[in-house]
Amino acid sequence: MRRRSNSSHGAVRPRLPLLAFAATLAFFSAFAAAAPLPAPTGEFVEKYCAKCHNDVDKESGFDLTSLAYTPGDPANFQQWVKVHDRVQAGEMPPKEKARPAAGDADAFLRSLATALTTDEREKTVREGRATQRRLNGYEYENALRDLFSAPWLQVKGQFPDDGEAHRFNKVGEALDVSHVHMMRYMGAADYAMRQVMSVQLERPATTTTRYYARDQRTLTGKFAGNIFNTSPDRMTYPVIGSTAQPDVRHGQAPVTVGNTDPKTRDLEAVGWVSSNYVTGFTYRWDSFRVPVAGRYRIRFSGYTLWASPGGTTKSFANEKDRTGKVRPPNPAVPDYDRISPGRRNEPITVYTRNGVMNRRVGEFDLTPEPAVYDIGEVWLLANETLVPDASRLYRSRPNNFKNPLMTPEGAPSVAFRWMEVDGPLYDETSGSGYQLLFGDLPLKKVSKGGVTISSVARKVQREDGRNAGQRVVPLEETGVEVESKAPRPDAERLLRNFLARAYRRPVVAADVARFLALFDDRRKAGLSFTESMMAMYTAVLASPGFVFLDEKPGRLDDYALATRLALFLTNSEPDPVLRAHAAAGDLGRPDVLRAETERLLTDRKSQRFVEAFLDYWIDTRKIEDTTPSTTLYNDYYLDDALTEAALRETQLFFADLLQHDLPARNLIDSDYTFVNERLALHYGITDVKGAAMRRVQLPPDSPRGGLITQASVLKITANGTTTSPVLRGKWIAERILGLEIPPPPAAVPAVEPDIRGAVTIRQQLDKHRADKSCAACHQKIDPTGFALESFDIMGAWRDHYRAADPEKPALKGIGKNGQPFAFHYSLPVDSAGALPDGRPFANIRDFKKLVREGEDSVARNLAKQLVIFATGAPVRFCDRPELDTILRAARSREYGVRSLVHAIVQSDLFRNK
Amino acid sequence: MNFPAAARTSAPYVSTRRPLSRRRFLQGAGIALSLPFLDSMLPTFARAQGSSNPLAPGAKPRRMFGICNNLGLLSDQFFPTGTGRDYTLSPYLQHLRGQRGDFSVFSGVSHPNVDGGHPADICFLTAAPHPGSSSFRNTISLDQHIAERIGILTRFPSLTLGVNTRTRSLSWTGTGVAIPPEDKAAEVFKQLFLQGTPAQIEAQVRKLDTGRSILDTVAGQAKDLERNVTARDRDRLDQYFTSVRDLEHRLQASKGWERKPKPTVKARMPVDPASPAAYMEKVKVMYDLARLSFETDSTRAITLMLDSVSTPVLEIPDVTITDGYHNLSHHGKSETKRSQLKVIDELHMKLLAKLIDDFKSIREGEDTLLDRTMVLYGSNFGDANQHVCTNMPTILAGGGFKHGQHLAFDTMRNYPLPNLFVSMLQRIGIEESSFASSTGTMRGLEMA
Repeated sequence: MRRRSNSSHGAVRPRLPLLAFAATLAFFSAFAAAAPLPAPTGEFVEKYCAKCHNDVDKESGFDLTSLAYTPGDPANFQQWVKVHDRVQAGEMPPKEKARPAAGDADAFLRSLATALTTDEREKTVREGRATQRRLNGYEYENALRDLFSAPWLQVKGQFPDDGEAHRFNKVGEALDVSHVHMMRYMGAADYAMRQVMSVQLERPATTTTRYYARDQRTLTGKFAGNIFNTSPDRMTYPVIGSTAQPDVRHGQAPVTVGNTDPKTRDLEAVGWVSSNYVTGFTYRWDSFRVPVAGRYRIRFSGYTLWASPGGTTKSFANEKDRTGKVRPPNPAVPDYDRISPGRRNEPITVYTRNGVMNRRVGEFDLTPEPAVYDIGEVWLLANETLVPDASRLYRSRPNNFKNPLMTPEGAPSVAFRWMEVDGPLYDETSGSGYQLLFGDLPLKKVSKGGVTISSVARKVQREDGRNAGQRVVPLEETGVEVESKAPRPDAERLLRNFLARAYRRPVVAADVARFLALFDDRRKAGLSFTESMMAMYTAVLASPGFVFLDEKPGRLDDYALATRLALFLTNSEPDPVLRAHAAAGDLGRPDVLRAETERLLTDRKSQRFVEAFLDYWIDTRKIEDTTPSTTLYNDYYLDDALTEAALRETQLFFADLLQHDLPARNLIDSDYTFVNERLALHYGITDVKGAAMRRVQLPPDSPRGGLITQASVLKITANGTTTSPVLRGKWIAERILGLEIPPPPAAVPAVEPDIRGAVTIRQQLDKHRADKSCAACHQKIDPTGFALESFDIMGAWRDHYRAADPEKPALKGIGKNGQPFAFHYSLPVDSAGALPDGRPFANIRDFKKLVREGEDSVARNLAKQLVIFATGAPVRFCDRPELDTILRAARSREYGVRSLVHAIVQSDLFRNK
Repeated sequence: MNFPAAARTSAPYVSTRRPLSRRRFLQGAGIALSLPFLDSMLPTFARAQGSSNPLAPGAKPRRMFGICNNLGLLSDQFFPTGTGRDYTLSPYLQHLRGQRGDFSVFSGVSHPNVDGGHPADICFLTAAPHPGSSSFRNTISLDQHIAERIGILTRFPSLTLGVNTRTRSLSWTGTGVAIPPEDKAAEVFKQLFLQGTPAQIEAQVRKLDTGRSILDTVAGQAKDLERNVTARDRDRLDQYFTSVRDLEHRLQASKGWERKPKPTVKARMPVDPASPAAYMEKVKVMYDLARLSFETDSTRAITLMLDSVSTPVLEIPDVTITDGYHNLSHHGKSETKRSQLKVIDELHMKLLAKLIDDFKSIREGEDTLLDRTMVLYGSNFGDANQHVCTNMPTILAGGGFKHGQHLAFDTMRNYPLPNLFVSMLQRIGIEESSFASSTGTMRGLEMA
């Protein structure tokens, strides 16, 4: 439950936003020179503001009479922008005081705006909008992947979290470099090169291999119980078709017929009734460990079954006891000797597992009819294993083992026959990473010394016992050398080629000399050719030329423009086509720039933009940060399929807006969305079957549609236990509607949600809102939050709050973890409210209709967020006219998201530093 | 040259040391290489003799161990009643009654403006304000402030440890970057005590030299680039340049230590419990490792993040815990959950009591290890149930202060906890008058 902002609070004093500046002001005033205020401004302040905001009364702690005009000081500048904006919005002077004559206000605003714009533009000419920045972790990882044609490389996790400013990890001021980063750049570069060499060394032939379920010790080791596992729900069983094999299960017949009877072998299956204990832990194919990173094609053969109730559990005396003492039949546990054909499909998620890292690589729907399911081509890392997870089944947790899906009729089950792997699959990019490093020079294993690279252990000690096959087999190390007959000339030739690809500008002689000197120095120190080459490349990949963007104040040249465009739309370095345009010098032509934008948006790599942008704009990277309370929301606890679908809905939805140039107002409300069966069920949509995500038309009265009622957003804005209208309201106001909400006052205590259900959060807040000074801010924040009160912590519709009170009886039922529900339904949800302008709404549907009318502000906010992501700098005061131009350009397309992107790319904000 | 990927790196502070198998290391044990390293490493200012200067030859070693349990403790069970030396132990502090004279307990203290709930754990030793806000930048942590000044005195300038986390860190560099915590005690043990063969040492030295050559090369480019950029951009390149020099300095220091034999210890390599559910056992293993590190003077500053937030349902012998630690902390006043939390909290208190006893049982010159080691135990949360970051539960044990008292401050208007950090810095001999948002030294706390 890592929350970004403070809990809701009570009394708000309006002076707070200004107080925050005090410290900064004092700091800057030391060196920022004061400039005279333009005359009309001074007069206006004297006439309309100074009665309250003076050095004696300091209304709201704000003294305008002694506020100097020091545009060089960013905090002071922001103060004046605020003065401008509040007068412009008609919020100041306040309604009950003397209103300025219309001409007075206009003249004031004009002169202040001119002064502010002039000063800011002057600074822009000198320094540009953006501060020079380094690549962030995402970009560095993508750049290495593209450079080495190794999309499977994982290096992002090695870097410290990137600093954020204006919500994004793209702003120079926040992207610091420490010795830790230097270490990590060197480490990541070194790691990537060794991975590339490892792939080159192995180059195993492409094969198709079938891995039978009966050969997986992880699966067959669970036929029998032991003192550590007495729960039949956590065991597996042998089966052919829907005929159980008690003799095999009880160890009276061999686990498999093996090669003696290939026909029967193809039919032998292993069944089970639970999903994995933790993702990728339990039902793992241990006999296939990915031999080398690359592309593979994966198929599973299996079907669903049905297990009858009335099985038996056993008690075991000690660890050595393998037979146990049988207890009487139990209607709550499955009987693995009485199996019948499946009664429903089961969604299967396929994960990879390698130590602690799990990755989701595919999904399919297992049917009662045996079939082969192809999850397609996937990128796998060396040493990974594959895990099919029947996501809807029971994820058992101590201490009360009770399968929530068990009925008097029995329980659903799955069975698998085999997994088949084609690979590694090669194409024209295979080996090009090595080619880039060492050209055609041969890579040889050496028996002593050399550069060590890791490889998958061939011979693995067989382990039996209750954890058979569960251990992650560690990688082995092999010494290698690249052979060169002419080290110095080879080094120079390879370096020139490498620099041309790694750097985003033409290679300069000084750099060639610089890095070659390092090569020579290392050779002299006794390092081998390979080691010296790697030292040289490490230096290139840790050098400012690679790590930093190179943008000069004013119009970006074509190389800088290519880099900016690539980092915007592919979150990586420019590809060869963009580089060619930069070299040809025609990228700056609006038509070429437009065509390139179009090309990148259509490229699969634009998916990186969608994910990276959403990760920061709406914090999708934090979707796993909160866990549903096991007391109140046991039904969501451990439901990975739901969280995964929620995240994918948001990504698919935004990608769809982008691909089809759909209006930005869809962020508020749309008549369609993307769901699979699990998410559809969550949303109360009934006719969607299967694990695959698809576009669905929503019924007219659906509360869904639009970003703000997606489960992902509703989960991210809750804490797993309770929801707060203030936090959700603030979140939506800032991120979607583009309103700026000042931080909460420090001295006011948080409103403590009462999970026993005696009082709603809304009733608690209403008390605070009765205070006029609180209401000033909260009328902007809360309405959205109230409308969203109809959604629980996972985004499901609710009419009543859930509460836990030991005095009251809990609802009957068992959660996905096998534990009983502990909550009851308490007070009803009230989702009515009024917008700051007074227009009332009764519920979320009304609310969306009202807000949708303000599509200009939604589009404006989206454009602002995209500008920060694309340029590394916010839309400042003097940039406002340019933002207007961007919006005008997209207006005819009803602010289509793709049109906004095009308009941004063509704008001066994007084309200048 | 051999920079292992961070994924495989276990070096607590610099990733150029590659873990080797125990057997290979032991073969080369006992190789003594002498290197008159320290004198040449000492900055000129340190050569000036001064009794309180921690860098002065013969100065008493002074250390700190900062521990943050990021779900805190049940406050009504932790805070004592009464003040001063005659205070009454609380139910939790009853577990520390045998150590009463060895620690001080504080109430009504917190880091000013450090709010934001869970994100505040990373501010436990930095006191940087508003960790939950979007513009948040963390600042240097107490241990790194110390390491920057006296780190060259030991093989490891600092150790950053974690239980159930490799990401949430108490240690932050001056540029506001987290040092990832190491959560495997065995890996740290290897770094601390297992020797390399001469060939391995030379290979390691060559790697460090290669690292320095690489850094020299990139620093040269940074200097060239700086010539034609604007002032604001130059600031960024300067930061890069500073980082390069910083790392070079560290590699240089590492090189000196590489040729010095590592201390030998009788203790066996710790065994890390595999499951995060064995949280309590992990805490104990880390406490023992900290003691061993100080006892061998391998470092003077250790931080330990107990990431209770990322801890699943605890496995405790003979006790039934039903929920993940984090969910328990949101007890919503449910007695079922609170009673389980009490069990966990009391185990924390018992482990702390044992740590104090262990530190006290080790002699160092005329003192005990405890006399020279400040053990700070606390949490970012005063009340995790409500995400309240005020009234932080805080204990300071040992380190050469007059203990045995309850320093009680206003629970409504808290006293700044960074003042304690200033007292700790001064105790080490680092002459600082402020740290973060401090207003002075800790009122009522006197050096022994």
